[in-house]
Amino acid sequence: MKFAATRLGSIVIAIAGCAALQVGAGHVNSFFQLLIILAGLYVTLSVSLNLINGITGQFSIGHAAFYQVGAYTTGVLAQKFFAKAHLPELVWLVVVMIGGAIMAAVAGLIVGLPSLRLRGDYLAIVTLGFGEIINIIAKNQPALGRAYGLDISPHIPSIFMVWLLAVFTIAVCRNLLKNVHGLSFLAVREDEVASASMGVNVTRVKVTAFVLGSAFAGAAGALYAHALGFISPTNFSMDVSFIILTMVVLGGTGSITGSVLSAIVLFYIPEKMRDLQAIPMSAIVAAAIALIFAVAVIRRVVDRYRGRHKAWIVLGSVVAAVPVQILLSTILKGIPALQTMVEGSKLRLVVFAVTLVILMLFRPQGIFAHHEFSWSWVKKLLGRRDVPTTAVSA
Amino acid sequence: MLLNPHLFAGFEIQTLPQQVVNGILAGSIYALIALGYTMVYGVLKLINFAHGEVFMLGAYGALFTSWALGYGPNGHATHSSFLVLLVMLLVSMLVCGFVGVLIERFAYRPLRNQARIASLITAIGLSLLLQYGGQVFLLNGVPQSISDTTNPFLGKNISIVLKSPDAEMLKSAALLEPKVQETEAAFEAQLPNEKSRFDLSPKGDALQKEAQAAKRDHDNAVDRANAQRIAIEVPEGKLTMLVTTFILMAILTYLVLFTKRGRAMRAVSLDFNASALMGINVDSIITFTFILGSTLAGAGAMMYATLQSGTKIDPFLGMAPGLKAFVAAVLGGIGNIPGAVLGGILMGIAENLVDWAGYDSYRDAIAFVILISVLLFRPGGLLGSDKVEKV
Repeated sequence: MKFAATRLGSIVIAIAGCAALQVGAGHVNSFFQLLIILAGLYVTLSVSLNLINGITGQFSIGHAAFYQVGAYTTGVLAQKFFAKAHLPELVWLVVVMIGGAIMAAVAGLIVGLPSLRLRGDYLAIVTLGFGEIINIIAKNQPALGRAYGLDISPHIPSIFMVWLLAVFTIAVCRNLLKNVHGLSFLAVREDEVASASMGVNVTRVKVTAFVLGSAFAGAAGALYAHALGFISPTNFSMDVSFIILTMVVLGGTGSITGSVLSAIVLFYIPEKMRDLQAIPMSAIVAAAIALIFAVAVIRRVVDRYRGRHKAWIVLGSVVAAVPVQILLSTILKGIPALQTMVEGSKLRLVVFAVTLVILMLFRPQGIFAHHEFSWSWVKKLLGRRDVPTTAVSA
Repeated sequence: MLLNPHLFAGFEIQTLPQQVVNGILAGSIYALIALGYTMVYGVLKLINFAHGEVFMLGAYGALFTSWALGYGPNGHATHSSFLVLLVMLLVSMLVCGFVGVLIERFAYRPLRNQARIASLITAIGLSLLLQYGGQVFLLNGVPQSISDTTNPFLGKNISIVLKSPDAEMLKSAALLEPKVQETEAAFEAQLPNEKSRFDLSPKGDALQKEAQAAKRDHDNAVDRANAQRIAIEVPEGKLTMLVTTFILMAILTYLVLFTKRGRAMRAVSLDFNASALMGINVDSIITFTFILGSTLAGAGAMMYATLQSGTKIDPFLGMAPGLKAFVAAVLGGIGNIPGAVLGGILMGIAENLVDWAGYDSYRDAIAFVILISVLLFRPGGLLGSDKVEKV
C-alpha cells in the first residue's frame, strides 16, 4: 500500500512539475520557450542513448537517426491525417509520439539485429552508417520533401509534453535498473561472455536496449517536429549524434543523473555561445595554447606526483591557465595574421570536441561514472554520516 | 520512389568497362587511406577515426605548398613540372606524418591502458576537433581548390579502344554520303531563285526537305555504327595516381615484410606484451605505424586534391573518403594489408557501378550497405579470418 502511494505520489508530482514549467514559461519569449523544449528533448535523447551506451555497454553513435525517423514519421502523419483526425492537440501529440516511437523502434530493431554479431567499434560504424543512410533516403525521397524537408502544419510547442516525456524516459530507465531485467543489462555491459554463461540471453538484451532506446528517441523526434513546425535533413546530421554522444559520455556512461545534468549544461553553453561577439583569432590561439599547457601539467601531476597537495596543484594549474591566456593574447595581438575575427557560433562544436578529448584524458568514466543521485547521498553530504546508504552504485 | 519503376533503365552495357576503370582509379585513393586504418587497427586494435582528418590536413598541406610555390590566386607561375608535384607530395606526406605522430603521442598513448572505448571516444573527439577547429583556423571564406596550372595532366586522356565501330555499318553509312551532297547541291542551286532562305516556294521547300531527310539518314547510320564502338578514356592524371599508389604500396610491402622494423611491427600486431618482452620498443613501433599510415594518407590527399581538377578543399574534405576507406578496410579484412588494397579498389568500383545504374544520389549510401552486409555475412572481411572471442 505504501509502495503504491509513493508511486502515485511521484507520478502526480511529475505531472504537476511539468505543468508548472509550462505555466512558468508562459511569461518568457517564444525563443526561450523553444530552448526549454529543446533542452527537454536533449534530456530524453541523452538518457535514451545512455540506455544503449551506458547501461548495456553497446556503442551507438548514430542516435540522431532514430530521432529523425520519429520526426519524419510525425511529419508524414501530420500531413495526411491531422486535418481528418479532429483530435485535441495534446491527444494528437500522444498519438504521433506513439507512432514515431513505433517506427523508430522498428529502425532500432533493424540496427540491433546485426549488432548481436558485432563488438564495440564495428557497431559504432554501423550505427553511424545507418544514420547516414536514413539521411540520404530523406534527402532523395520526394514523399519526404527531399533536401527541403517537410512543413508540419499544427505548430504545437508543448513544454508540458516534452518534459513529461523526459521524466517518463528517466523513470523507465531508473526502474529498469532496479529490477531483474535491468540487472541483465548491466551484466552484458560488464562481460558478455560471462553473462551468457550465466544464462543471460545476450542477444535479446542488446536488441531490447536498442529498441527501447530508439523508441524514446523516436518519441522525442515526434515532439521536435511539432515544436519546430518544420524539419529538414540538416536538422539530423551527424553533428546531432555527436552532441548526444558527448552528453552521455560527459555525464558518465551508465549514470542517468549524469546524462540529464550534462544534457542540460551542454545544451545551454553552446546556445549561449551563439550570442557571443566575434573573437579575435589571437585570443583563440592563446586559449588553445593555455589549454594545452594546463592539460600537460595536470596530466603530469596526476601521473607522477605522489604528494598530499595533488588537488591543490591541479586547481592551481587550471587557475594559472587564465593569466597565461590573457598574457599570450596580448602578445599575439601584434601578429597581423592573427587579427582576423572569428564568430563565436563557429566555436560551438569545437567546445564539444575539446570536452570529449579532455574528458577522456582525465576521467574516461565521465563525471558521475556509474553513480546516481540519491537522497541518502545528499544526507551524507550534509554531514549525517550515520545514514545507511541504500544507493545502488550500479 | 526509392526504386524507380524502370529498374534497369540506366544500364548501358557499352559504358560498363569505362565505369569499372573509373572505379579502379578512384579506388586507389581509398586503398591508400584504408592502409592507414588497417595498419593502426592491426597494431592497436583501434579505429583511428581521425585518419580522415589527417587526410584533410594533407590536402591543405598541398594547397599551401602550391601557394608558396607561386600557384596561388596572385601567383606568377604559368606551367607546372613534375618537380613541383613531387615537392607538394613530399610536403603533404610530411605534414600528415607529423600530425599522425602528434595524435598518437598526445591523444592515444595516455589512454593505451584504459578501456578501448575511451580511445574510440577520443578518436571521435579528435576527428570533430580537427574538423571544427579547421573551420576556425583554415577556412577563410569559401573553400579553395588547388590551381589547375599545377596539374600537367589536365585534359589529357589515353583512350583504349576495345571494339571499333562496325566496319560494314560504316561502309553502308559512307554509301549514303553522295546522296546527301547531291540533294544539298540541288537545294543550293535552287536558292538564287528564292526570295530568302526562310520564305521558300513549294519547289524549294520540297528540295530542302529532301536534303534534310538525306542528311538525317546519313547521320543516323553513322551514329548506329559508332554506338558499336567501346572505348575507355583514362585521364592521365588519374593514371598517375594509380601508378604512384602502386609504387607506394610496393615500398610499404617492402618495409613491412623485409625490414627489421617491419618484422617488429608484425610481432606487435600479433601480441603486444610478448613482443615487449622480446625487447621490441613497442612505443616506437606504434609511432612508426602511425607515421607510415599517415604519410600514405598524405600522399593520397595530395593526389586527390591536385590531380582531380576542381576538388574543393574544406575542413570536411576527409570525412566521406575517410568513412569509405574504413569500409574498404573492413571489406578487405581489417588488419590485413593486401586486403585494404583489394577493399579500396572494390569500394571504388562499387561506387561507380551505383552511378552507372542511375542511382547517383545514393552513391554515399552504398559504402554503408556494403559494410553492413560484410559484417553480417563475413565479419572477418574478404581476406581476413574469423576469430571467436573467448573468455
